[in-house]
Amino acid sequence: MPRPMPVIDDVSLAEMYDDPYPVYARLRREAPVAWLAPANIALITRFDDMIAIERDEETFPANDPRSLQIRSMGHSLMRRDGAEHAAERAVLVKSFSPPMVKSHWSPLFREIAEELVGETAPKGQGDLFTEFAAPMAARALAQIIGIPETDWQDLLWWSQALIDATGNYADLPEPWERCARASEGIDTAIDHHAALWAKAPNPSALSAMVAADWPIERIRADIKVIIGGGLNEPRDSIGTVLLGLLSDPAQLEAVKADPALGRKAFEEAVRWVAPIGMYPRRVAKETVLSDTVLPAGTAIGLSAASACRDESHFGDSAGRFDMNRPKAQHLAFGSGPHFCLGTWMARSMVGDVAVPALLARLPDLRLDPDNSPRMGGWVFRGPLFLPARWSPK
Amino acid sequence: MTKLTVITPTGESRPMEADPSTSLMEAIRDAGIDGIVAECGGTAACATCHVFVDEAAQAALDPADEHEAGMLEFAAVEATPASRLSCQVRVSDLPEGAVVTLPETQL
Repeated sequence: MPRPMPVIDDVSLAEMYDDPYPVYARLRREAPVAWLAPANIALITRFDDMIAIERDEETFPANDPRSLQIRSMGHSLMRRDGAEHAAERAVLVKSFSPPMVKSHWSPLFREIAEELVGETAPKGQGDLFTEFAAPMAARALAQIIGIPETDWQDLLWWSQALIDATGNYADLPEPWERCARASEGIDTAIDHHAALWAKAPNPSALSAMVAADWPIERIRADIKVIIGGGLNEPRDSIGTVLLGLLSDPAQLEAVKADPALGRKAFEEAVRWVAPIGMYPRRVAKETVLSDTVLPAGTAIGLSAASACRDESHFGDSAGRFDMNRPKAQHLAFGSGPHFCLGTWMARSMVGDVAVPALLARLPDLRLDPDNSPRMGGWVFRGPLFLPARWSPK
Repeated sequence: MTKLTVITPTGESRPMEADPSTSLMEAIRDAGIDGIVAECGGTAACATCHVFVDEAAQAALDPADEHEAGMLEFAAVEATPASRLSCQVRVSDLPEGAVVTLPETQL
């Protein structure tokens, strides 16, 4: 007999922000489909359940009128389903496709990385999160989106404001206020650049939307989703790859000796700490998952962070960063129709370019022995502070 | 139903009957044959449903479009002229008795 959904009310969101992994391990073991009371969402924590959900968009649609993302960013393609979603996504696919990444974006990533490494090298020490990971992701993103005249630091705070509002499950007022201010700035940047690309198209996402003659509300919502996903995720994964490698001399030396392994290190880093830790779906009709009844209308959260550490797929060492573990599908990019559009962009930017460039130029890069790195987040997760040292160049 | 033969990554020959209304990717997966990952669920965004089709199928199918051909360059096993993303191939476009070979790995 399927059981009613267990209610988890003895964990706090603050505890989850700090380190959600012990909670996930407990949930996978005891209650893989559970009502997480502090977040008002049913959390799905097992790999196989997540795959089943992603393959069945009729039972588990992405569109949910209660979505915090619709409230923070507008109704984007990430919250649409079926043919409507596919048609919207198809307009953007070319900008993000591997051939475009290879021919157009990767050379640009190399330029940005070289410039940043050049600025970082003489300093001898610093926080790699703010010195390197954040500007790398933000400066690349301004180009990818097609708002190159935007100051990368504006993009950084806009992204954080959008993300904080989207993850505001506690419904605090301040994140919503900040999100509204960021939205104004983004809309202004869109209007300015859209007029330019209407006359002179380029491979950017905004240019593709303008060429497809989309209504402005759709352009605004999708640009905001791309700002949210396109900044935090590559930024956080750059930091996570560096943390993984700098914590393990053997893996660090392997990547330094063969920069092509940067791609492998990136893939393992996002499995180890999935930058998008959780994303929502809705239950359209009552269904049973992992022997638990999910009533129609339930808001569910798919925990990619948990699925990526599911022992049944990654073994008992799932909590460890090990780029040499056997290749296996992970869910850091999701799966199904909403499989991350930016996957190839991130593989190139982080794995092929940014991390190898930094390690090549700063051969004795190491974690700062006097300052500990700090990680945070459960809806989105990554390094907050990554202090390191190196010989000034 | 369309009769197909799938050669699995371990070299096993598996006859199957495929629903013409599905994609080749869905048909192989629905038949419970391992060797298709299809991370993106059929949106031609991941290159993890790579297959090799026999000559008769190559002749019968429209060639891969620019996007599919571009994705195939990123498949885990190097693409050949017989390569397709199985999510982009409709079973109804395949000749009866086509032989589809799965690569050694998709990741």
